Amino acid sequence: MTALVARPERVRLAGQRHQATVVTHQRLMLIMLLFLGVTAAVVLRIGYLALFSDGAARGGAANALLPARGDIVDRNGQPLARSIDAWTIGVHPAKIIGDREEIAVRLARLMPERSAAEYLEILTSGRTFQFLRRRALPELVAAVNAIGEPGLAFDREPDRLYPQAGLGAHVLGWTDIDGHGAAGMEKVLDAALTDPARRGAPTALAIDSRVQAAMESELAAAMTSLQAIGATGVVLDVRTGELLALASLPAYNPNAAGRFALDTRFNRATMGVYELGSTFKPITVAAAMEAGVIKSLGQRYDAAHAVAVGRFRINDSHPIGRSITIPEMLIHSSNIVTARISDQMGAERMAHAFRQLGFDEPAHVELPEKGRTLWPGDWGRATIMNTGFGHGIAVTPLHLATAYATLVNGGVWRPATLMKLGPDQVPRGRRVYSEETSARMRQMLRLIVTEGTGKKAEAPGYRVGGKTGTAEKPKDGGYARKSLVSTFAAAFPMDDPRYVVIAMLDEPKGNAETFGIATAGWTAAPVVSKVVSRIGPLLGVLPDERRDVDVSDLMPLIWKAKGAR
Amino acid sequence: MSFVGNQPRVSTATPKGREIVRLGRADRSALGRWFWEIDRVLLLLVAVLVAVGLVAVAAASPAAGSRYSGGAVQIAPLHYFYRQLMWMVVALPVMVGVSMLPHQLARRFALVGAGACILLLALTPFLGPEVNGAHRWIGFGFAQLQPSEFLKPFYIVALAWLLSLKEQDRTLPVVPISAVVTAVIALFLMRQPDFGSTVIFAAVWVLMLMLAGISVRFLALLGLGGIAGIVAAYLFYPVATARIDGFLFAQGDTYQTESALRTLTAGGVFGTGPGGGARKFHLPEPHTDYIFSVIGEEFGLIACLAIAMLYIAIVVRVLVKLLEEENPFLLLAGAGLVSQIGLQALINMAVNVQIAPSKGMTLPFISYGGSSMIALSIGVGLLLAFTRRNPFLNRSPYASRGGGGPKPALR
Repeated sequence: MTALVARPERVRLAGQRHQATVVTHQRLMLIMLLFLGVTAAVVLRIGYLALFSDGAARGGAANALLPARGDIVDRNGQPLARSIDAWTIGVHPAKIIGDREEIAVRLARLMPERSAAEYLEILTSGRTFQFLRRRALPELVAAVNAIGEPGLAFDREPDRLYPQAGLGAHVLGWTDIDGHGAAGMEKVLDAALTDPARRGAPTALAIDSRVQAAMESELAAAMTSLQAIGATGVVLDVRTGELLALASLPAYNPNAAGRFALDTRFNRATMGVYELGSTFKPITVAAAMEAGVIKSLGQRYDAAHAVAVGRFRINDSHPIGRSITIPEMLIHSSNIVTARISDQMGAERMAHAFRQLGFDEPAHVELPEKGRTLWPGDWGRATIMNTGFGHGIAVTPLHLATAYATLVNGGVWRPATLMKLGPDQVPRGRRVYSEETSARMRQMLRLIVTEGTGKKAEAPGYRVGGKTGTAEKPKDGGYARKSLVSTFAAAFPMDDPRYVVIAMLDEPKGNAETFGIATAGWTAAPVVSKVVSRIGPLLGVLPDERRDVDVSDLMPLIWKAKGAR
Repeated sequence: MSFVGNQPRVSTATPKGREIVRLGRADRSALGRWFWEIDRVLLLLVAVLVAVGLVAVAAASPAAGSRYSGGAVQIAPLHYFYRQLMWMVVALPVMVGVSMLPHQLARRFALVGAGACILLLALTPFLGPEVNGAHRWIGFGFAQLQPSEFLKPFYIVALAWLLSLKEQDRTLPVVPISAVVTAVIALFLMRQPDFGSTVIFAAVWVLMLMLAGISVRFLALLGLGGIAGIVAAYLFYPVATARIDGFLFAQGDTYQTESALRTLTAGGVFGTGPGGGARKFHLPEPHTDYIFSVIGEEFGLIACLAIAMLYIAIVVRVLVKLLEEENPFLLLAGAGLVSQIGLQALINMAVNVQIAPSKGMTLPFISYGGSSMIALSIGVGLLLAFTRRNPFLNRSPYASRGGGGPKPALR
């Protein structure tokens, strides 16, 4: 201040000046606190995001390279379901600058699922965004892009691809639009497949895609030539319960599950319950052997006379007209004799035999699509006799597969599984039959194929054993004579069984090749034969004509007409 | 550092034979004095911020490149990074040069700059091209610049000068004058429209009035006025209505802010690693407004925390140092300049973590942008210039005085 004469206000006293500085410093700190406060809010928010947000929950650094959903592979690592980046086409109706009517027409030409009028409605809706097509092909994206409208948006989103198309469709299921499993193993494994810790590595199923493909193609061929309405097939590892194939036809393509008819999504192998007919006879025999009803396989039963129970009569389709042994009963598939054995067993022991095989509960497998079995409500004498040869009780083909595995693997029941099992993961199972019974069943099942109704199931060198089952479908309280369910339940190689193979045809019609016959021996048995000769080599079962299960001790029990082989 | 040598201290009386260490205390060159007087901690913090910014732009550049490519225009993935590097080469010497200006000269430079920028700002709506529905730029081709960015530091210094005049003449109506200037600038900005910058100017004005010692009652009035202003903006200013609605009720087009948050958290705590980000490609303005989210995805939330810490460190460093300052002009200018950077950073981060509605604000020294980079460099240059001081002049009375010769108080 150089002015000598100054108005009093222009000169501030040192004290005032000091006062002002103090105020300024106080407010400086106040501002600092404000900054610290807002920074603390930002820091807390980041901390919150780190702890609770979706992205942060994924943890590690490799996140971006992980698929949104883990792959599913078969037991050999073949991809069955993968995650890909698919194109989507969308529109921001509010941001369109071109002629809406013209764009609508061009969109309708490129994507005909909506009409031009519907597109125009979307374009004029004023909405922020709407998808027009998800999982669009790159060619379509290019074509829509060529319309040149900036309001049309293209983006990538993770999508599920089933590279094998319909292969194993009922096993895999499909995912919904949000990428969550909606059916099949996709649904069962949903949590595991989306778990960030696990989804980097593929999940292996028990399915062998080669076996599955062989089963599906043979079933499809038979279904077409026999004009069946459906078919199903199972290949089960008898030692572990792993399902190498689980096929149900008609199938759908899981890549576009929504576009297939509802009935194609029906899994006949696990949801469909059928009266499986004569395939139950070996189960009845094994149970009777365990129960001591059958003390010797040479035990003879009268097959000449029908069994009358109440107002029903139980007959054989091909009358035998004499008394027969147990192996003969299975070879000729005699209803009369099975009914007599069942009658001897009685309600309690028959029901116990079926319960031990899990026939009173839905199939033991991971799939959510499981049907409730039809378990007899009243175990009267007629029911007992009928269940002995697979009528009056309805189970799924998968039930039958696990039951046959139990018959031939030494007598241990294990639940079926679609997950690939390590050597130490195989369940111990529970013993249902003795080793001895199981050994006898192996002999007799083999005899059915070499000597009896299952001759057409033979695959040279693979020692197939099995049982036919032709059941009439229940209809209007009785049975429909022409609507058959033809099943062949088999296992191979019979000297050391490895796999159970089930083939079932729903309502096959006879054709010229089968001389018009639609029974299992002519329809389902050839499918098993073809499947076994296709999958045997793949599964490491060497065809060997010189090896077979030793049935010499049973041969004297089988009567043959002179001159017959 | 080499300037604190272990050699025995030689008395000034016998300079013969003494080796002058470059940038040592004995270095009497302009650069040597500059280095000795400057707030080196602040310089280091800013340097770290600039380095972080370059890495961040390198991360965001491919995303921005792919976003603005299309048809005939193909932008190379690192286009924005190289541009930013180029701007950096221009901006850093500007920062150092400005910081070397003596206080008087720096103040005059700022005052002239403020006048020029207000003029340019007034002309922008007529001369500037339209970008994203707003006129913010002036000039053509390579020489485009954003007057509002340059005005920020100049305005603050000018305001500090204006408010400090009160010290000399209590009768000057400095507050009404500053209010009129600020209102005029706000009017020009809203015509562009540039809501974000308006908020910064208004907030800095209030902060500086606060520091200049206006009464609490007046502050309260301003606070009420601010709330009224926001309500008025919400009611009558369509851009603000949409933004605030989007934030409060998740109404309308919240795609931007949602994808920003998704990007921010996509990398988790430790990030996907450089170049590993995928979400950033879905982000609008990945290299400017939402670069914080890109950093979050590639370098993790932990990097976001570190950046927030860096900004608050700069703010705290300057404000604490200003406690030693008694010159009202230097105090106001320093506090104003650092507040502008701090505010802009905080608002940008708050928008990215979705605790504030989106406003279109860049992250200082980290976001891509030539104008803003050079303007910020001028701002920090001025800040460094005004916080320069002879370390021996205002020594704390608590610093120990040893032996005979003066000892530098370590800062």
